[in-house]
Amino acid sequence: MNIPKKLLYTKEHEWIKVNGDKGHVGITDYAQHHLGDIVFVELPELDEEVAAGESMGVVESVKAVATLFSPVSGQVMEVNEELEEAPELLNEDPYGNWIAIIELSDQGDLEGLMSADEYKSYCETLE
Amino acid sequence: MIEVVNHSRDPYFNLALEEYLMTSWTGPNHTFILWQNKPAVIIGRNQNTIEEVNQPYLDQEGVVLVRRMSGGGAVYHDLGNLNYTLVVDENLDFANYDKFTRPVIKALDRIGVRAENSGRNDITIEGRKFSGNAQFKYRGRLLHHGTILFDSNLEAMTLALNPGVHKISSKGIKSVRSRVTNIRDHLSQDIKVEEFKEILAAELLQLEPGPGTYQLSQAELQAVEALRENKYATWAWNYGQSPAFNRRKTASLAWGHIDIRLEVKHGRIRSCRIFGDYFQAGEMEDLEQALIGVVYRWQDIKVCLEKIGLYDYLPQMDEEELARLISG
Repeated sequence: MNIPKKLLYTKEHEWIKVNGDKGHVGITDYAQHHLGDIVFVELPELDEEVAAGESMGVVESVKAVATLFSPVSGQVMEVNEELEEAPELLNEDPYGNWIAIIELSDQGDLEGLMSADEYKSYCETLE
Repeated sequence: MIEVVNHSRDPYFNLALEEYLMTSWTGPNHTFILWQNKPAVIIGRNQNTIEEVNQPYLDQEGVVLVRRMSGGGAVYHDLGNLNYTLVVDENLDFANYDKFTRPVIKALDRIGVRAENSGRNDITIEGRKFSGNAQFKYRGRLLHHGTILFDSNLEAMTLALNPGVHKISSKGIKSVRSRVTNIRDHLSQDIKVEEFKEILAAELLQLEPGPGTYQLSQAELQAVEALRENKYATWAWNYGQSPAFNRRKTASLAWGHIDIRLEVKHGRIRSCRIFGDYFQAGEMEDLEQALIGVVYRWQDIKVCLEKIGLYDYLPQMDEEELARLISG
């Protein structure tokens, strides 16, 4: 399973790539693998205020609907509209296809997230 | 496993109860409910309501429409359809449909009916579907639910659901028609849905040892009622939550032809163009502008048309006629 080193992770299997006060957010390889073929992505709204650990959308696969949680609090700066047309991109390249870019309102939120190593150990406990 | 006792036949309440058990239940046991709805259409989380249902039929017959948390297609419920919902910890059971459909198959075996899983989500008798299943996951918990057609009005089902009838392009999930059957048609000795419900409850309890049944407290019932009022009984959730869609409506009337193009998002008109052979392109611009942001429901559109004065633009049509054309 692919877990890139430089990203931070949530227990709900989202990743965030932080650059200053901007964070690209997506779902992990583990998430896409377990969900199976993804058929629909409900993106957050542009400019929407999201809160760390709160729902910001849903992903529907052939197996289930899963809630998407924001890893951090902040404002949605950009959403990846390509996923509305081609939700399967999340299966093909989960780290190359971000879902939203969030402007962080509190860098402290990052302390609650897992490193790649921690996330790897966490995933092992789920198997 | 514990059965949360529920006798409500109100679709809004029952869907709210599912969410309550999923997100707020704090008891130590995994739960299940068995429930029936008065006539209702229950659509998938990411479906476009307008695309899936025969709204005039729903209005006429008083059929309720509710959006559920799980995905997949639209289903018809009535008192002849038994629903089962289990809420468990996610860890090992995610996407494990067989574990949850097995009690249904075993319950049927006890009344002499042979059923089998078909694909991932369906249970069939002689190749015909009587049960559709779906899952929803949220914060480490998993909800599995399914319909069980016992003695449902299949004719009403066909009338209430009409996938693919409208000319709509949307990114939402489309329903797929299946050949369906009622369990009752396969019984050698007739039993009532209530009796089958008890047999199924006994099988579900066998999934895990547990204390039997649980009666919700007044405070818990109030929490479910609040969720019913604030979410499941609202237009915003049942219709407004539909994925964005584009729509074209045309009509040939005595005075000429009219062609309307719409984009609808969050249940509101986002853009609108009206063409016709009676008027020039552009003449309708103020009317088109006025419709932007209006709730995509004929009553709201009618109010908007009355306010702007439809007669100045289209004297041949009255407000209700055009509102129904736009939204119908």
